Amino acid sequence: MALAAIALGLMAGALPDDHELAMQILTELRGPRVAAAFACGGLLALAGALMQTLFRNPLAEPYLLGVSGGAGLLALLGMAAGLAWPWVSALAFAGSLLALVLAAALGGRLLARDHTPLLLAGVMLAAGFGALIALVLSVAPAERLPGMLFFLMGDLAWTDQPALLWAALLLAVAATLALSRRLDVLQLSPLKAASLGVPVAPTRWMLFTLAGACTALVVAQAGSIGFVGLMVPHALRKTGFAGHRVLLPAAALAGGSLLVLADALARTVIAPRELPVGVLTALLGVPVMLWLLRKP
Amino acid sequence: MSLVADHLGLQAGTRTLVESLDLALEPGEVLGALGANGAGKSTLLAVLAGLALPARGQVTLDGQPLTDLPPLTRAQHIGLLPQGDEGGFFGSVADFVALGHFPFDVAQGRLFDNAPDLAPHLAAWELTDLARRPLDTLSGGERQRARLAQLAAQQPRIALLDEPLTHLDPAHQARLLAWARGEADAGRSVVLTLHDPNWAACHCDRLLFLYGDGRWRLGTPADLLTPASLEALYGPGTAALWQKSDRIQPV
Repeated sequence: MALAAIALGLMAGALPDDHELAMQILTELRGPRVAAAFACGGLLALAGALMQTLFRNPLAEPYLLGVSGGAGLLALLGMAAGLAWPWVSALAFAGSLLALVLAAALGGRLLARDHTPLLLAGVMLAAGFGALIALVLSVAPAERLPGMLFFLMGDLAWTDQPALLWAALLLAVAATLALSRRLDVLQLSPLKAASLGVPVAPTRWMLFTLAGACTALVVAQAGSIGFVGLMVPHALRKTGFAGHRVLLPAAALAGGSLLVLADALARTVIAPRELPVGVLTALLGVPVMLWLLRKP
Repeated sequence: MSLVADHLGLQAGTRTLVESLDLALEPGEVLGALGANGAGKSTLLAVLAGLALPARGQVTLDGQPLTDLPPLTRAQHIGLLPQGDEGGFFGSVADFVALGHFPFDVAQGRLFDNAPDLAPHLAAWELTDLARRPLDTLSGGERQRARLAQLAAQQPRIALLDEPLTHLDPAHQARLLAWARGEADAGRSVVLTLHDPNWAACHCDRLLFLYGDGRWRLGTPADLLTPASLEALYGPGTAALWQKSDRIQPV
């Protein structure tokens, strides 16, 4: 499935008749973009699965703790100041980390027993960042607004570090696979998990850090692509991928495939113009999700 | 000598629940803990399991303080059945029961292969036919059985059960009784909290009364279970609850 998605992603869109030029487009433009799309989708779905385990809730997703809000705010401020992309990307990464550190500092005290304070702190931060983003949008110069909106909805046209994204994806999958049985136990109540010998607070902090780092990296490269991180792990759990040993790699593959497909559509639907890929992930994801919810 | 609580003091905030409790759990005994809601039964179990720190005193396993034991080692000896909360679990009944075996899988270096032989535990709690069902589609009593099977799969030497009778029909209460007695006969210890003095009278070797204000009493059912002592524990008028059980004809 993942291979088919990648092939489709490479083929989608017009190619010139000139063979050499076509090859050049495939290897230098489309190839890296498809690679980046796959890694971003994989990282988001993996982060979503980890967040759902951390919060013991199938509705948790990578942006729950304000990561996208923090990234969006700083990135938009950078864009408003007219900074070039690498700086905007760095600002987005810094904003993500800022949101994570704030959430941890404000709500992380009781993580061994209760994750609700962390959840509430994150949701409050996300709301605060959302308001500040609206403020920046309302006073920003009009000619910079489209770029800002594309960032907020998520767009793969900016990604310039596919190798870094892939390295992160492989590393994160390997690290979480080694933890997979512990994560299975962590789905139980904190007291029960602790009685089975799992160090609950350290493992939860590890999840928080891993999911946060994966998300921050994607947001810094492609903005806040929505829905992949919520829908993919949720749908996989619904269809019987319960143990983390299969759930996590499956999430990485399915998330990557979904984002490659969505990006192929985003590039081609109204070609030569492009849509923000975040719009496509939601348009593809919402019906699938609603259909899954109908299943008993 | 196995699990020993030494001058244990338990607090809930500023409220003293238990003061200077000395309790040595004997291998081969079933001990029932009784007390009103909020008297400290669950807190005591968490402390005995090494998962919460007492305000005063300490708990030792074979002479070693629980705080000195690595979590996985502790989990190979002491098992806890907390009150139900499976909201975060999305897998099947068999997956759920298999998690009980986690301490041994990790100790034996089995990070991935989680295929302990669950069949006897599933069969013992009549879960064989439900094994492939998602846990969240089960009834309350069926889920309680899955939680008991998970604890049984952990095979703890000290089993601490918080209201294990919850949701169980009479057949499975009998099943729980047989399991607890089997554990005790094999030289292991079982502690359970419950609210049914009849059950406690028939099936526990020793009883612990927790009054919730620091006081406690430890003794045999014959010593402790009188109408007057039950009213002292639960409040005036409560003994009447158990005085008309002769309405049901003895078999």
